Amino acid sequence: MRIGIVCPYSFDVPGGVQNHVRDLAETLISLGHEVSVLAPADEDGELPPYLVSAGRAVPVRYNGSVARLSFGPISAARVRRWLAAGEFDVLHVHEPVTPSLSMLAVLLARGPVVATFHTAMTRSRAMAAAQGVLQLVLEKITARIAVSALARKVQVEHLDGGGWEIPNGVAVSRYAHAEPLPGWPGPGGAVGFLGRYTEPRKGFPVLLDAFVRLAADRPGLRLLVAGPGDPADVLDDVPAHTARRITFLGLVSETDKARMLRSVDVYVAPNTGGESFGMILTEAMAAGTPIVASDLDAFRRVLDGGRAAALVPVGDPVALARTLAELLDDPARRSALARRASQVVAAYDWTVVAQRVLEVYRTAIEATPRSVAGI
Amino acid sequence: MRGMWWMVAAVVVVVLVAMYLTWLTARLDRLAARCAAAHAALDAHLVRRAAAASQLADALGRPELKAAARAALEAHPDDRELVENDLTRALRALPYPPDAPTLAEVSAASRQVALTRQVHNDLVRDALAVRRRRLVRLLRLGRRHAEPRYFDVDDPILDTSVPVPPL
Repeated sequence: MRIGIVCPYSFDVPGGVQNHVRDLAETLISLGHEVSVLAPADEDGELPPYLVSAGRAVPVRYNGSVARLSFGPISAARVRRWLAAGEFDVLHVHEPVTPSLSMLAVLLARGPVVATFHTAMTRSRAMAAAQGVLQLVLEKITARIAVSALARKVQVEHLDGGGWEIPNGVAVSRYAHAEPLPGWPGPGGAVGFLGRYTEPRKGFPVLLDAFVRLAADRPGLRLLVAGPGDPADVLDDVPAHTARRITFLGLVSETDKARMLRSVDVYVAPNTGGESFGMILTEAMAAGTPIVASDLDAFRRVLDGGRAAALVPVGDPVALARTLAELLDDPARRSALARRASQVVAAYDWTVVAQRVLEVYRTAIEATPRSVAGI
Repeated sequence: MRGMWWMVAAVVVVVLVAMYLTWLTARLDRLAARCAAAHAALDAHLVRRAAAASQLADALGRPELKAAARAALEAHPDDRELVENDLTRALRALPYPPDAPTLAEVSAASRQVALTRQVHNDLVRDALAVRRRRLVRLLRLGRRHAEPRYFDVDDPILDTSVPVPPL
Protein backbone atom coordinates (compact mmCIF):
# COMPACT_ATOMS: atom_id res chain seq x y z
CA MET A 1 0.00 0.00 0.00
CA ARG A 2 1.22 3.57 -0.68
CA ILE A 3 0.67 5.56 2.48
CA GLY A 4 1.11 9.29 3.03
CA ILE A 5 1.34 10.38 6.66
CA VAL A 6 1.23 13.99 7.87
CA CYS A 7 2.70 14.96 11.23
CA PRO A 8 1.88 18.53 12.31
CA TYR A 9 4.79 18.88 14.73
CA SER A 10 8.44 19.29 13.92
CA PHE A 11 10.54 16.14 13.84
CA ASP A 12 13.49 18.10 15.30
CA VAL A 13 11.82 18.24 18.70
CA PRO A 14 10.88 15.06 20.56
CA GLY A 15 7.22 14.63 21.40
CA GLY A 16 4.45 12.07 21.70
CA VAL A 17 2.86 12.63 18.29
CA GLN A 18 6.22 12.71 16.49
CA ASN A 19 7.34 9.46 18.13
CA HIS A 20 4.01 7.88 17.28
CA VAL A 21 4.32 8.90 13.62
CA ARG A 22 7.94 7.74 13.39
CA ASP A 23 7.25 4.33 14.95
CA LEU A 24 4.12 3.82 12.87
CA ALA A 25 5.94 4.76 9.65
CA GLU A 26 8.90 2.50 10.41
CA THR A 27 6.66 -0.43 11.35
CA LEU A 28 4.58 -0.03 8.17
CA ILE A 29 7.78 0.10 6.11
CA SER A 30 9.04 -3.06 7.81
CA LEU A 31 5.73 -4.72 6.87
CA GLY A 32 6.48 -3.94 3.22
CA HIS A 33 4.41 -0.79 2.64
CA GLU A 34 5.60 2.39 0.93
CA VAL A 35 5.41 5.28 3.36
CA SER A 36 6.13 8.98 3.01
CA VAL A 37 5.89 11.27 6.03
CA LEU A 38 5.36 15.01 5.59
CA ALA A 39 6.37 17.05 8.63
CA PRO A 40 7.98 20.36 9.49
CA ALA A 41 11.72 19.80 9.85
CA ASP A 42 14.96 21.68 9.67
CA GLU A 43 16.40 20.59 6.33
CA ASP A 44 19.99 21.01 7.56
CA GLY A 45 19.50 18.30 10.15
CA GLU A 46 19.70 14.60 9.45
CA LEU A 47 16.30 13.29 8.36
CA PRO A 48 15.08 9.70 8.02
CA PRO A 49 14.77 8.64 4.35
CA TYR A 50 10.96 8.48 4.40
CA LEU A 51 10.58 12.04 5.73
CA VAL A 52 9.68 14.95 3.44
CA SER A 53 10.25 18.33 5.05
CA ALA A 54 7.50 20.92 4.82
CA GLY A 55 9.89 23.65 5.91
CA ARG A 56 10.73 25.08 9.30
CA ALA A 57 8.11 25.24 11.98
CA VAL A 58 7.00 28.21 14.05
CA PRO A 59 6.60 27.74 17.80
CA VAL A 60 3.00 28.22 18.97
CA ARG A 61 1.79 28.03 22.56
CA TYR A 62 -1.00 25.53 22.89
CA ASN A 63 -2.60 23.54 25.70
CA GLY A 64 0.09 24.42 28.21
CA SER A 65 3.03 23.46 26.05
CA VAL A 66 4.79 24.83 23.00
CA ALA A 67 3.90 23.21 19.68
CA ARG A 68 5.93 23.82 16.57
CA LEU A 69 3.62 24.19 13.60
CA SER A 70 3.68 25.25 9.99
CA PHE A 71 0.64 26.81 8.37
CA GLY A 72 0.34 29.23 5.49
CA PRO A 73 0.61 29.58 1.71
CA ILE A 74 4.16 28.22 1.45
CA SER A 75 3.27 25.17 3.51
CA ALA A 76 0.12 24.74 1.40
CA ALA A 77 2.20 24.69 -1.78
CA ARG A 78 4.48 22.04 -0.32
CA VAL A 79 1.53 19.93 0.80
CA ARG A 80 0.07 20.15 -2.71
CA ARG A 81 3.34 19.11 -4.32
CA TRP A 82 3.78 16.21 -1.88
CA LEU A 83 0.22 14.96 -2.52
CA ALA A 84 0.69 15.15 -6.27
CA ALA A 85 4.03 13.32 -6.21
CA GLY A 86 2.95 10.68 -3.69
CA GLU A 87 -0.01 9.05 -5.49
CA PHE A 88 -1.08 7.62 -2.16
CA ASP A 89 -3.70 4.94 -1.66
CA VAL A 90 -4.52 6.49 1.67
CA LEU A 91 -3.66 9.72 3.47
CA HIS A 92 -3.20 9.53 7.24
CA VAL A 93 -3.16 12.85 9.13
CA HIS A 94 -2.50 13.40 12.82
CA GLU A 95 -4.25 16.06 14.93
CA PRO A 96 -6.16 17.67 12.04
CA VAL A 97 -8.35 20.06 14.02
CA THR A 98 -5.66 22.54 14.98
CA PRO A 99 -4.39 24.86 12.23
CA SER A 100 -1.45 22.83 10.97
CA LEU A 101 0.02 20.89 8.08
CA SER A 102 -2.48 18.16 8.83
CA MET A 103 -5.43 20.51 8.41
CA LEU A 104 -3.95 21.83 5.16
CA ALA A 105 -3.49 18.30 3.85
CA VAL A 106 -7.08 17.37 4.67
CA LEU A 107 -8.43 20.49 2.97
CA LEU A 108 -6.24 20.03 -0.09
CA ALA A 109 -6.72 16.29 -0.60
CA ARG A 110 -9.40 14.19 -2.19
CA GLY A 111 -9.79 10.50 -1.50
CA PRO A 112 -9.52 8.24 1.54
CA VAL A 113 -8.34 10.25 4.53
CA VAL A 114 -7.71 8.67 7.94
CA ALA A 115 -7.24 10.99 10.90
CA THR A 116 -5.79 10.18 14.30
CA PHE A 117 -6.82 12.29 17.27
CA HIS A 118 -4.24 12.27 20.05
CA THR A 119 -5.18 14.89 22.62
CA ALA A 120 -8.15 14.75 24.86
CA MET A 121 -8.69 18.47 24.55
CA THR A 122 -11.98 19.93 25.61
CA ARG A 123 -13.89 22.34 23.44
CA SER A 124 -12.03 25.61 23.17
CA ARG A 125 -13.43 28.98 22.23
CA ALA A 126 -11.37 28.93 19.04
CA MET A 127 -12.92 25.62 18.10
CA ALA A 128 -16.43 26.90 18.64
CA ALA A 129 -15.75 30.01 16.55
CA ALA A 130 -14.32 27.98 13.71
CA GLN A 131 -17.19 25.48 13.65
CA GLY A 132 -17.85 26.07 9.94
CA VAL A 133 -14.23 25.47 8.94
CA LEU A 134 -14.04 22.52 11.30
CA GLN A 135 -17.07 20.94 9.65
CA LEU A 136 -15.32 21.25 6.26
CA VAL A 137 -12.24 19.53 7.66
CA LEU A 138 -14.18 16.79 9.40
CA GLU A 139 -16.38 15.91 6.45
CA LYS A 140 -13.29 15.22 4.33
CA ILE A 141 -12.05 12.68 6.82
CA THR A 142 -13.19 9.18 5.98
CA ALA A 143 -12.20 7.30 9.10
CA ARG A 144 -11.23 8.61 12.51
CA ILE A 145 -8.92 6.93 14.99
CA ALA A 146 -8.79 7.90 18.65
CA VAL A 147 -5.74 6.80 20.67
CA SER A 148 -7.67 6.47 23.91
CA ALA A 149 -11.18 6.15 25.23
CA LEU A 150 -10.85 9.70 26.53
CA ALA A 151 -9.81 11.07 23.13
CA ARG A 152 -12.79 9.25 21.64
CA LYS A 153 -15.13 10.68 24.24
CA VAL A 154 -13.97 14.20 23.37
CA GLN A 155 -14.74 13.53 19.74
CA VAL A 156 -18.19 12.23 20.46
CA GLU A 157 -18.97 15.22 22.65
CA HIS A 158 -17.33 18.01 20.71
CA LEU A 159 -16.73 16.96 17.14
CA ASP A 160 -19.99 15.14 16.43
CA GLY A 161 -18.63 11.79 15.53
CA GLY A 162 -17.19 8.63 16.86
CA GLY A 163 -13.83 7.22 16.04
CA TRP A 164 -12.25 3.82 16.20
CA GLU A 165 -10.12 3.31 19.25
CA ILE A 166 -6.60 2.09 18.57
CA PRO A 167 -4.09 2.61 21.38
CA ASN A 168 -0.64 4.09 20.96
CA GLY A 169 1.92 1.49 20.04
CA VAL A 170 5.20 0.78 21.75
CA ALA A 171 8.30 -0.84 20.25
CA VAL A 172 8.44 -3.53 22.94
CA SER A 173 11.75 -5.14 21.97
CA ARG A 174 13.54 -1.77 22.03
CA TYR A 175 12.60 -1.41 25.70
CA ALA A 176 12.80 -5.03 26.79
CA HIS A 177 16.47 -5.34 25.87
CA ALA A 178 17.80 -1.91 26.82
CA GLU A 179 20.95 -1.83 28.96
CA PRO A 180 20.50 -0.22 32.42
CA LEU A 181 22.58 2.92 33.05
CA PRO A 182 25.92 2.11 34.74
CA GLY A 183 25.58 1.78 38.52
CA TRP A 184 21.77 1.56 38.50
CA PRO A 185 19.54 0.47 40.20
CA GLY A 186 22.15 -0.21 42.88
CA PRO A 187 21.87 -2.21 46.13
CA GLY A 188 19.76 0.37 48.00
CA GLY A 189 17.00 0.30 45.40
CA ALA A 190 15.87 2.94 42.93
CA VAL A 191 12.62 4.59 41.94
CA GLY A 192 12.07 6.33 38.59
CA PHE A 193 10.03 9.16 37.14
CA LEU A 194 9.91 10.52 33.61
CA GLY A 195 8.21 13.68 32.36
CA ARG A 196 8.03 17.46 32.72
CA TYR A 197 8.42 17.46 36.47
CA THR A 198 7.62 21.17 36.78
CA GLU A 199 4.14 20.62 35.28
CA PRO A 200 1.67 20.22 38.19
CA ARG A 201 -0.54 17.59 36.48
CA LYS A 202 2.44 15.23 36.25
CA GLY A 203 2.27 14.97 40.04
CA PHE A 204 6.02 15.06 40.70
CA PRO A 205 5.62 16.89 44.06
CA VAL A 206 3.56 13.94 45.31
CA LEU A 207 6.40 11.59 44.46
CA LEU A 208 8.98 13.93 46.03
CA ASP A 209 6.98 14.02 49.25
CA ALA A 210 6.73 10.21 49.27
CA PHE A 211 10.44 9.90 48.51
CA VAL A 212 11.40 12.19 51.39
CA ARG A 213 9.33 9.95 53.74
CA LEU A 214 10.95 6.78 52.39
CA ALA A 215 14.47 8.15 52.26
CA ALA A 216 14.47 8.68 56.04
CA ASP A 217 14.47 4.89 56.74
CA ARG A 218 16.21 3.71 53.59
CA PRO A 219 19.70 5.19 53.37
CA GLY A 220 20.52 3.59 50.00
CA LEU A 221 17.32 4.43 48.13
CA ARG A 222 17.72 6.72 45.10
CA LEU A 223 15.37 8.56 42.75
CA LEU A 224 16.10 8.78 39.02
CA VAL A 225 14.29 11.57 37.16
CA ALA A 226 14.28 12.18 33.41
CA GLY A 227 12.60 15.04 31.61
CA PRO A 228 13.07 18.74 30.87
CA GLY A 229 13.05 21.34 33.64
CA ASP A 230 15.17 23.04 36.29
CA PRO A 231 15.67 20.85 39.40
CA ALA A 232 16.00 24.00 41.56
CA ASP A 233 12.29 24.74 40.90
CA VAL A 234 11.11 21.59 42.64
CA LEU A 235 13.71 20.95 45.37
CA ASP A 236 12.77 23.84 47.70
CA ASP A 237 11.16 21.69 50.39
CA VAL A 238 13.57 18.76 50.12
CA PRO A 239 16.32 18.48 52.74
CA ALA A 240 19.80 18.74 51.19
CA HIS A 241 20.91 15.25 52.25
CA THR A 242 17.85 13.75 50.51
CA ALA A 243 18.21 15.96 47.44
CA ARG A 244 21.69 14.50 46.94
CA ARG A 245 20.05 11.12 46.34
CA ILE A 246 17.97 12.42 43.46
CA THR A 247 19.55 12.25 40.01
CA PHE A 248 18.17 14.48 37.27
CA LEU A 249 19.05 13.31 33.77
CA GLY A 250 17.34 16.24 32.00
CA LEU A 251 15.74 15.67 28.60
CA VAL A 252 16.74 12.19 27.42
CA SER A 253 16.93 10.60 23.98
CA GLU A 254 14.68 7.67 23.06
CA THR A 255 17.55 5.26 23.70
CA ASP A 256 18.30 6.75 27.10
CA LYS A 257 14.62 6.71 27.98
CA ALA A 258 14.55 2.94 27.50
CA ARG A 259 17.79 2.58 29.50
CA MET A 260 16.44 4.84 32.24
CA LEU A 261 13.30 2.71 32.59
CA ARG A 262 15.45 -0.40 32.91
CA SER A 263 17.58 1.31 35.58
CA VAL A 264 14.99 1.45 38.35
CA ASP A 265 13.25 -1.11 40.56
CA VAL A 266 9.91 0.66 40.41
CA TYR A 267 8.55 3.24 37.98
CA VAL A 268 6.14 5.81 39.45
CA ALA A 269 3.40 7.67 37.53
CA PRO A 270 2.00 10.03 40.21
CA ASN A 271 -0.08 12.08 37.69
CA THR A 272 -2.99 14.06 39.06
CA GLY A 273 -5.05 14.09 35.85
CA GLY A 274 -5.16 15.38 32.29
CA GLU A 275 -3.48 12.33 30.81
CA SER A 276 -5.04 11.11 27.61
CA PHE A 277 -3.31 7.79 27.37
CA GLY A 278 -0.21 7.36 29.51
CA MET A 279 2.27 6.34 26.84
CA ILE A 280 5.01 6.14 29.45
CA LEU A 281 3.14 3.30 31.16
CA THR A 282 3.25 1.05 28.10
CA GLU A 283 6.95 1.90 27.79
CA ALA A 284 7.62 0.98 31.40
CA MET A 285 5.64 -2.26 30.93
CA ALA A 286 7.70 -3.02 27.82
CA ALA A 287 10.88 -2.41 29.82
CA GLY A 288 9.70 -4.97 32.36
CA THR A 289 9.74 -2.42 35.19
CA PRO A 290 7.01 -2.73 37.84
CA ILE A 291 4.75 0.32 38.00
CA VAL A 292 3.07 2.28 40.75
CA ALA A 293 0.50 4.62 39.17
CA SER A 294 -2.20 7.06 40.19
CA ASP A 295 -5.64 5.52 40.06
CA LEU A 296 -6.84 7.46 36.99
CA ASP A 297 -9.38 6.06 34.51
CA ALA A 298 -6.99 6.39 31.59
CA PHE A 299 -4.20 4.59 33.48
CA ARG A 300 -6.52 1.85 34.71
CA ARG A 301 -7.48 1.07 31.11
CA VAL A 302 -3.89 0.78 29.93
CA LEU A 303 -2.89 -1.25 32.98
CA ASP A 304 -5.39 -4.07 32.40
CA GLY A 305 -7.93 -2.64 34.84
CA GLY A 306 -5.16 -2.07 37.39
CA ARG A 307 -3.94 -5.67 37.45
CA ALA A 308 -0.64 -4.88 35.71
CA ALA A 309 0.49 -2.30 38.27
CA ALA A 310 -0.02 -1.15 41.83
CA LEU A 311 -2.54 1.71 41.83
CA VAL A 312 -2.56 4.43 44.49
CA PRO A 313 -5.10 7.17 45.28
CA VAL A 314 -4.46 10.36 43.28
CA GLY A 315 -2.36 12.98 45.09
CA ASP A 316 -1.78 10.98 48.28
CA PRO A 317 1.95 10.91 49.16
CA VAL A 318 1.41 8.79 52.29
CA ALA A 319 -0.31 6.02 50.37
CA LEU A 320 2.30 6.27 47.61
CA ALA A 321 5.16 5.93 50.13
CA ARG A 322 3.47 2.91 51.73
CA THR A 323 2.88 1.15 48.40
CA LEU A 324 6.44 1.89 47.26
CA ALA A 325 7.88 0.52 50.49
CA GLU A 326 5.87 -2.70 50.14
CA LEU A 327 6.99 -3.21 46.57
CA LEU A 328 10.64 -2.39 47.25
CA ASP A 329 10.66 -5.03 50.00
CA ASP A 330 8.94 -7.70 47.92
CA PRO A 331 10.96 -8.82 44.87
CA ALA A 332 8.53 -11.68 44.18
CA ARG A 333 5.59 -9.30 43.85
CA ARG A 334 7.69 -6.98 41.68
CA SER A 335 8.52 -9.74 39.24
CA ALA A 336 4.92 -10.97 39.23
CA LEU A 337 3.75 -7.46 38.30
CA ALA A 338 6.40 -7.21 35.60
CA ARG A 339 5.39 -10.60 34.17
CA ARG A 340 1.76 -9.60 34.05
CA ALA A 341 2.70 -6.26 32.46
CA SER A 342 4.72 -7.91 29.73
CA GLN A 343 1.69 -10.04 28.78
CA VAL A 344 -0.52 -6.97 28.72
CA VAL A 345 1.91 -4.85 26.72
CA ALA A 346 2.10 -7.41 23.90
CA ALA A 347 -1.23 -6.02 22.63
CA TYR A 348 0.40 -2.58 22.38
CA ASP A 349 3.42 -3.71 20.37
CA TRP A 350 3.69 -1.68 17.17
CA THR A 351 3.52 -4.74 14.94
CA VAL A 352 0.08 -5.53 16.43
CA VAL A 353 -1.08 -1.90 16.49
CA ALA A 354 0.05 -1.26 12.90
CA GLN A 355 -2.11 -4.17 11.71
CA ARG A 356 -5.10 -2.53 13.32
CA VAL A 357 -4.24 0.77 11.64
CA LEU A 358 -3.96 -1.03 8.29
CA GLU A 359 -7.44 -2.41 8.88
CA VAL A 360 -8.72 1.17 9.16
CA TYR A 361 -6.83 2.16 5.98
CA ARG A 362 -8.53 -0.66 4.09
CA THR A 363 -11.93 0.37 5.41
CA ALA A 364 -11.32 4.01 4.45
CA ILE A 365 -10.29 2.94 0.95
CA GLU A 366 -13.39 0.78 0.60
CA ALA A 367 -15.59 3.64 1.76
CA THR A 368 -14.18 6.12 -0.75
CA PRO A 369 -14.95 6.26 -4.43
CA ARG A 370 -11.41 7.34 -5.46
CA SER A 371 -7.73 7.37 -4.43
CA VAL A 372 -5.83 10.28 -2.89
CA ALA A 373 -5.11 13.31 -5.07
CA GLY A 374 -4.62 17.02 -4.60
CA ILE A 375 -7.20 19.57 -5.72
CA MET B 1 -23.84 56.47 -13.63
CA ARG B 2 -25.25 55.39 -10.30
CA GLY B 3 -27.60 52.91 -11.95
CA MET B 4 -24.66 51.23 -13.61
CA TRP B 5 -22.88 50.68 -10.29
CA TRP B 6 -26.02 49.09 -8.94
CA MET B 7 -26.07 46.81 -11.96
CA VAL B 8 -22.45 45.80 -11.42
CA ALA B 9 -23.06 45.17 -7.74
CA ALA B 10 -26.13 43.07 -8.52
CA VAL B 11 -24.22 41.00 -11.08
CA VAL B 12 -21.39 40.43 -8.61
CA VAL B 13 -23.84 39.29 -5.94
CA VAL B 14 -25.61 36.94 -8.37
CA VAL B 15 -22.29 35.45 -9.50
CA LEU B 16 -21.15 34.95 -5.90
CA VAL B 17 -24.43 33.31 -4.91
CA ALA B 18 -24.29 31.04 -7.97
CA MET B 19 -20.71 30.06 -7.15
CA TYR B 20 -21.64 29.28 -3.57
CA LEU B 21 -24.62 27.17 -4.63
CA THR B 22 -22.52 25.28 -7.18
CA TRP B 23 -19.93 24.57 -4.51
CA LEU B 24 -22.60 23.48 -2.05
CA THR B 25 -24.15 21.13 -4.62
CA ALA B 26 -20.75 19.61 -5.39
CA ARG B 27 -20.20 19.17 -1.65
CA LEU B 28 -23.55 17.40 -1.32
CA ASP B 29 -22.69 15.15 -4.28
CA ARG B 30 -19.35 14.27 -2.74
CA LEU B 31 -20.91 13.46 0.63
CA ALA B 32 -23.63 11.35 -1.02
CA ALA B 33 -21.06 9.42 -3.07
CA ARG B 34 -19.05 8.65 0.06
CA CYS B 35 -22.13 7.50 1.97
CA ALA B 36 -23.01 5.21 -0.92
CA ALA B 37 -19.48 3.76 -1.06
CA ALA B 38 -19.41 3.26 2.71
CA HIS B 39 -22.82 1.62 2.60
CA ALA B 40 -21.67 -0.77 -0.11
CA ALA B 41 -18.59 -1.65 1.97
CA LEU B 42 -20.74 -2.20 5.05
CA ASP B 43 -23.10 -4.41 3.07
CA ALA B 44 -20.18 -6.50 1.79
CA HIS B 45 -18.80 -7.02 5.31
CA LEU B 46 -22.21 -7.94 6.69
CA VAL B 47 -22.59 -10.57 3.96
CA ARG B 48 -19.09 -11.85 4.70
CA ARG B 49 -19.90 -12.11 8.39
CA ALA B 50 -23.16 -13.97 7.76
CA ALA B 51 -21.41 -16.36 5.36
CA ALA B 52 -18.66 -17.04 7.91
CA ALA B 53 -21.27 -17.55 10.64
CA SER B 54 -23.12 -20.00 8.41
CA GLN B 55 -19.91 -22.02 7.95
CA LEU B 56 -19.26 -21.94 11.67
CA ALA B 57 -22.82 -23.19 12.26
CA ASP B 58 -22.15 -26.15 9.94
CA ALA B 59 -18.85 -26.91 11.63
CA LEU B 60 -20.35 -26.84 15.12
CA GLY B 61 -23.72 -28.34 14.17
CA ARG B 62 -25.79 -25.38 15.38
CA PRO B 63 -29.10 -25.11 13.49
CA GLU B 64 -30.23 -21.93 15.29
CA LEU B 65 -27.04 -20.12 14.22
CA LYS B 66 -27.49 -21.41 10.70
CA ALA B 67 -31.04 -19.99 10.63
CA ALA B 68 -29.85 -16.62 11.94
CA ALA B 69 -27.10 -16.47 9.32
CA ARG B 70 -29.58 -17.38 6.57
CA ALA B 71 -32.01 -14.70 7.72
CA ALA B 72 -29.20 -12.14 7.66
CA LEU B 73 -28.21 -13.10 4.14
CA GLU B 74 -31.79 -12.84 2.88
CA ALA B 75 -32.96 -9.83 4.88
CA HIS B 76 -35.05 -7.08 3.35
CA PRO B 77 -33.22 -3.72 3.69
CA ASP B 78 -35.88 -2.46 6.15
CA ASP B 79 -35.35 -5.40 8.52
CA ARG B 80 -31.61 -5.57 8.09
CA GLU B 81 -30.72 -4.06 11.46
CA LEU B 82 -33.05 -6.42 13.32
CA VAL B 83 -31.77 -9.61 11.73
CA GLU B 84 -28.14 -8.54 12.06
CA ASN B 85 -28.74 -8.00 15.78
CA ASP B 86 -30.30 -11.48 15.94
CA LEU B 87 -27.20 -12.91 14.30
CA THR B 88 -24.92 -11.10 16.76
CA ARG B 89 -26.97 -12.49 19.65
CA ALA B 90 -26.81 -16.01 18.20
CA LEU B 91 -23.04 -15.69 17.83
CA ARG B 92 -22.65 -14.41 21.38
CA ALA B 93 -24.78 -17.24 22.77
CA LEU B 94 -22.31 -19.84 21.52
CA PRO B 95 -19.99 -21.48 23.96
CA TYR B 96 -16.72 -20.73 22.18
CA PRO B 97 -14.40 -23.64 21.75
CA PRO B 98 -11.12 -21.86 21.07
CA ASP B 99 -10.20 -24.40 18.40
CA ALA B 100 -13.34 -23.92 16.29
CA PRO B 101 -12.11 -23.89 12.70
CA THR B 102 -13.84 -20.78 11.32
CA LEU B 103 -14.03 -18.84 14.56
CA ALA B 104 -11.16 -16.51 13.64
CA GLU B 105 -12.94 -15.67 10.41
CA VAL B 106 -16.24 -14.84 12.14
CA SER B 107 -14.42 -12.79 14.74
CA ALA B 108 -12.44 -10.84 12.12
CA ALA B 109 -15.56 -10.26 10.02
CA SER B 110 -17.43 -9.02 13.08
CA ARG B 111 -14.69 -6.55 13.93
CA GLN B 112 -14.64 -5.37 10.33
CA VAL B 113 -18.41 -4.84 10.44
CA ALA B 114 -18.04 -2.76 13.61
CA LEU B 115 -15.28 -0.65 12.08
CA THR B 116 -17.08 -0.10 8.79
CA ARG B 117 -20.29 0.74 10.61
CA GLN B 118 -18.46 3.40 12.63
CA VAL B 119 -17.02 4.92 9.46
CA HIS B 120 -20.36 4.67 7.67
CA ASN B 121 -22.30 6.37 10.45
CA ASP B 122 -19.72 9.18 10.73
CA LEU B 123 -20.08 9.83 6.99
CA VAL B 124 -23.88 9.76 7.25
CA ARG B 125 -23.68 12.27 10.09
CA ASP B 126 -21.53 14.60 7.97
CA ALA B 127 -23.90 14.30 5.02
CA LEU B 128 -26.98 14.92 7.13
CA ALA B 129 -25.40 17.99 8.75
CA VAL B 130 -25.11 19.64 5.34
CA ARG B 131 -28.45 18.33 4.01
CA ARG B 132 -30.30 19.75 7.00
CA ARG B 133 -29.07 23.30 6.51
CA ARG B 134 -31.88 25.75 5.96
CA LEU B 135 -30.63 26.94 2.55
CA VAL B 136 -30.16 23.38 1.30
CA ARG B 137 -33.67 22.42 2.39
CA LEU B 138 -35.20 25.62 1.03
CA LEU B 139 -33.71 25.17 -2.45
CA ARG B 140 -34.05 21.36 -2.21
CA LEU B 141 -30.41 20.97 -3.26
CA GLY B 142 -30.28 17.47 -1.81
CA ARG B 143 -33.17 16.12 -3.85
CA ARG B 144 -30.88 14.31 -6.30
CA HIS B 145 -29.77 11.87 -3.61
CA ALA B 146 -31.80 9.77 -1.21
CA GLU B 147 -31.36 10.83 2.41
CA PRO B 148 -28.66 8.58 3.91
CA ARG B 149 -29.62 6.50 6.95
CA TYR B 150 -27.59 5.51 9.97
CA PHE B 151 -27.05 1.80 10.38
CA ASP B 152 -28.01 1.20 13.99
CA VAL B 153 -27.08 -2.15 15.44
CA ASP B 154 -25.53 -3.37 18.62
CA ASP B 155 -21.78 -3.38 17.97
CA PRO B 156 -21.12 -6.92 16.79
CA ILE B 157 -17.65 -7.26 18.32
CA LEU B 158 -17.23 -10.68 19.86
CA ASP B 159 -15.07 -11.05 22.90
CA THR B 160 -13.24 -14.16 21.81
CA SER B 161 -9.76 -13.00 22.67
CA VAL B 162 -7.82 -15.42 24.80
CA PRO B 163 -7.78 -13.90 28.28
CA VAL B 164 -4.46 -13.19 29.95
CA PRO B 165 -4.00 -15.79 32.71
CA PRO B 166 -4.60 -14.33 36.17
CA LEU B 167 -1.70 -13.28 38.33
